[in-house]
Amino acid sequence: MGFDPAFALSCVPTILSAIGTTLLVAAVSCFGAATIGFLFEMARRIGGIAGMASGFAIDFIRSTPVLIWLYFLYFVLPFYGIRLGSMTVGIMGLSLYYSGYLAEVFKAGIDAIPKGQPEAARALSLSRRDTVIYVIAPQMMRNIAAPLGNYFVSILKATPYLAVLAVPDMLGRAFDIASETYRYAEPLVVAGLIFLALALLISYGVKRLERRLLAGGTR
Amino acid sequence: MLAQSDPIVGIQGLNKWFGALHVLNDIDLTVASGARVVVCGPSGSGKSTLIRCINGLESYQEGVLRLAGTTLGHKARETAAACRQTGMVFQSFNLFPHLTVLGNCTLALRRVAGKTRSEAEDIAMAHLEKVRIPEKARSYPGQLSGGQQQRVAIARALCLNPRIMLFDEPTSALDPEMIKEVLDVMVALARDGMTMVCVTHEMGFAREVADEVVFMDGGSILDRAPARDFFSASGHPRSRLFLETILRH
Amino acid sequence: MSLFDIWLGILKGVGTTAAVTAYGLLFAVPFALGFGVAQYLTVGVARLLVTAVIEFWRSSAVIILLFVFYYALPVFGISLSAWTVSAMVLGLNAGGYASQAVRAGLQALPSGQKEAGAALGLSRPAILFLIELPQALVAMSPTFVNTVIQLVKATALVSLVTLSDMTFRAKEIAQVEYNPVAIYTALLLAFFVVCYPIALAGRWLEARIAAPGSRAGGI
Repeated sequence: MGFDPAFALSCVPTILSAIGTTLLVAAVSCFGAATIGFLFEMARRIGGIAGMASGFAIDFIRSTPVLIWLYFLYFVLPFYGIRLGSMTVGIMGLSLYYSGYLAEVFKAGIDAIPKGQPEAARALSLSRRDTVIYVIAPQMMRNIAAPLGNYFVSILKATPYLAVLAVPDMLGRAFDIASETYRYAEPLVVAGLIFLALALLISYGVKRLERRLLAGGTR
Repeated sequence: MLAQSDPIVGIQGLNKWFGALHVLNDIDLTVASGARVVVCGPSGSGKSTLIRCINGLESYQEGVLRLAGTTLGHKARETAAACRQTGMVFQSFNLFPHLTVLGNCTLALRRVAGKTRSEAEDIAMAHLEKVRIPEKARSYPGQLSGGQQQRVAIARALCLNPRIMLFDEPTSALDPEMIKEVLDVMVALARDGMTMVCVTHEMGFAREVADEVVFMDGGSILDRAPARDFFSASGHPRSRLFLETILRH
Repeated sequence: MSLFDIWLGILKGVGTTAAVTAYGLLFAVPFALGFGVAQYLTVGVARLLVTAVIEFWRSSAVIILLFVFYYALPVFGISLSAWTVSAMVLGLNAGGYASQAVRAGLQALPSGQKEAGAALGLSRPAILFLIELPQALVAMSPTFVNTVIQLVKATALVSLVTLSDMTFRAKEIAQVEYNPVAIYTALLLAFFVVCYPIALAGRWLEARIAAPGSRAGGI
């Protein structure tokens, strides 16, 4: 039976129709991961018990596979009577898993700001609050823009994991076609190529952004 | 208000440790209003730490440091108010890279002095004229040479109208051809009567503008002399040796 | 089933997890070194081809790659065992990431190193193997450690193509025993006790390399 290019082509519209789901899941998860990751990093910086707990949580998350986190939430939440849609669970899982990585992005983004910057702000008598808002935060944002973009691509590439939880994303659609037609190769190859194209496209955008930030790199 | 004759900075018995390291050892120093003091000494002698104590960037463990009539480190609010009377210029410029030259100069005017944007910009432009770089107001620090950046840093520090300017090796990070443009600005500032404490190895500058030269080594002040005496043969042997070392270059 | 039994049941799969990781490294390490060096050395069309191969393995979604090669290769008349497909896909994906560390490590060396080698009359291969690679390998060893962790974590996927790793065992237990909290917590912990020591070793390595006066000399 060989690979049928015509059949592959006929799969494209069905699979592509789920691209919105994929992008939405990736965007919401990325936002969730950034929010949780930022809180983790702030807790870690405060130190004490909260800092140690947060540091351990980050290490724990980074030492465990995303797939297991998805299973964990998918099966454990109902055990406690919390019933959520599989897409919500999937987004929660991706957010939690990638928060461990984004915490490190925030850490690096803050650590990369030279010590002289907050010092100069103090020498100008700026308050702590103003120092964070006008001096630290804008420089941190510039430092994290590119890594954040790269993690968005990583999260995008992790969204097909949600097919395991029966979320109808692009991989889910491909499996739908496969189980209807008993042909696996064509829909899977198409889904793979679409993901590859998306990942390359966004990576290229991130690289351009990075270059622009470096060119405006004003130090 | 202080009488004109009261010193701006009065330091007595100042001691500071970093862990076990005794970085400032029984420092006594008085800086009168309008005085221009140059602090020199080998690296690690504590000179940078000393001037960073004067504007509260570093704390100290023993002794008294009075700035503009306030003893630093007792009451937070008064300490902050006194430190507002200082302007500081760093060795590595420390301009804010994400703000334009004008943005660097107006930030504290707007957030600390409560000026409106246009008031702040007028004040900033006046100081940028003074350091002869008004045409770069809309540029970012990364687009400027080191000498230009340091002149902007001086303008930025002047904007809050400080009563004393602190310079921490302002020319050490500069290429030789840029040192003069920065020193010229500093000399002009001295001529205008600004009180200055300057950590520097630029002995030409010291000779030209300093009233007093302080020589530090190992956290202590070893020699204090009016500039003309310091450079004559009568100085402390250790500072003679230091002078010979750096003047040979 | 007690918590201990669950834990033991999951650990029955640790052999498979370890075997897939080791088998995967057989693909990852040669790929990373070969293609990383090739990307560093080549120019023009050759470099484009090398980059295309790297990007295919690195930028594709690994879960889709696994399914594509598991389901689609037989259609092209290539039959590989689930073991080989898993090791190849996970290994080359990890190798794709690691190849970028190899290239970056080589590019980060001061050009004076190459010039000094040439001045001593060394051939280009001799310069590469005696001067450039030894230095670059030290610099990128922490990244390699991270790649190993990513590979271990990615092996959770092989449960989806019938290999009985730890994740597979956990799901088996879940079918006879409704205790998702214990089962999936145990599974997370199982990965944690494997990956966390590796992460700590990587951190130690990184600190040693960064330490001034280390033998690697200020890389």
